[in-house]
Amino acid sequence: MYGRRAAQLVREVGSCEKGQLTNYNSDTFDQVIKECNEHNTQLQSLVRKIENENLDIQTTRNEDHFGAVIHHLSVIRNKRCLMAYMYNRAETIRSLRWKVGRVLPQEIQEKFNYSEEEYFKNYNAAVDSYMSEMDLDLTLDMVPPKDPYIRVKVLSDIGEVLFGDHPISLTQHSLHFLKRTDAEQFISQGLMEEFME
Amino acid sequence: MSRFYDIDDILVEEESLTNIFQVGVNGVGLLDPSAETNSVEKGAKVDLPVWLAHELYLRRAALFNVPACFSQKTRKEIQADAACVDLRFRSPYFYELGCKIAPQVADKTIGSFLLYTFDNRYKEILCKAHSTPVATVPKLLNRLTKEETNLFEAARSSMVAFRKWREGGSRLERASVLGRKRKSNIPIPQPSTP
Repeated sequence: MYGRRAAQLVREVGSCEKGQLTNYNSDTFDQVIKECNEHNTQLQSLVRKIENENLDIQTTRNEDHFGAVIHHLSVIRNKRCLMAYMYNRAETIRSLRWKVGRVLPQEIQEKFNYSEEEYFKNYNAAVDSYMSEMDLDLTLDMVPPKDPYIRVKVLSDIGEVLFGDHPISLTQHSLHFLKRTDAEQFISQGLMEEFME
Repeated sequence: MSRFYDIDDILVEEESLTNIFQVGVNGVGLLDPSAETNSVEKGAKVDLPVWLAHELYLRRAALFNVPACFSQKTRKEIQADAACVDLRFRSPYFYELGCKIAPQVADKTIGSFLLYTFDNRYKEILCKAHSTPVATVPKLLNRLTKEETNLFEAARSSMVAFRKWREGGSRLERASVLGRKRKSNIPIPQPSTP
């Protein structure tokens, strides 16, 4: 059936959890583009047939006309599916910048297609340039703070990190009293957690 | 146009309808598996997805029947006990599909039927969202359409958020994309020194 493969692609995006990314499905994507070309060829040949019969292309409503219409609609449908696929992925990719940070773990990066990598890089650059112009880190305090300081427990070895001007060695299972703004990025990356009594 | 990129809107239009062609169509043999030539005859019965059926209807090239999920049998079941009917089995996009085809079929009762169905299931869904233990949730979700599932999840998550707020737990959390258990290798960024 026409447009089925494209819908399969959209279903793939729809079935994964919100905010998660699936592997970029370049196989199906290319197949759908091939399908579009096929529709285009058929469309052209039907139009040519109408013209050869010396009929007015604007007003003719014969069997060939409706065949051409169906192929035309199928191309539009496929286009919509492909656009929706890319658009929804791009939305997720943008949200990663805010949820995870500038650097993404390997297993997420692997799911990107080449153009998406570029997109993420450019989006990063845009956000960075805005933040440096405003001299404000927008990614901090995503949750309104109650206290500027926070007790944290280190979940995996991070090593020596410079906070302000004094280095702190963050070894596994150690507890620290840090500035909330310093700890926030480690927590969102899963390297620390807030320590509660 | 605002729903151009909407995934659910695209998938509703993938549901299939039985069409009766009012004209013959050349060059689309793929549509009708029983056709011997590369064309569809006038009067042929073909299953088409909503997106195609809709456009063909507007061009008066094909008419479609009311799909099976709005049959008299389903209506009787819903009248008997709306909350117990497995709507997902009938169509995961029951309401959306109904809204899309309602203006185009002769049967004018679909609108009120949809409203009645939703009305009667709504209360049950919300009650269950708050009271069902986690273990039995999947069994319950099996019967709900996509729209109802969203409603159910929304009710649950707002309850969870409320409880969390009252108890005052940790509010900073690891990004959910990273998964729960898997260890990820993020290069450690050095905080910039002022």
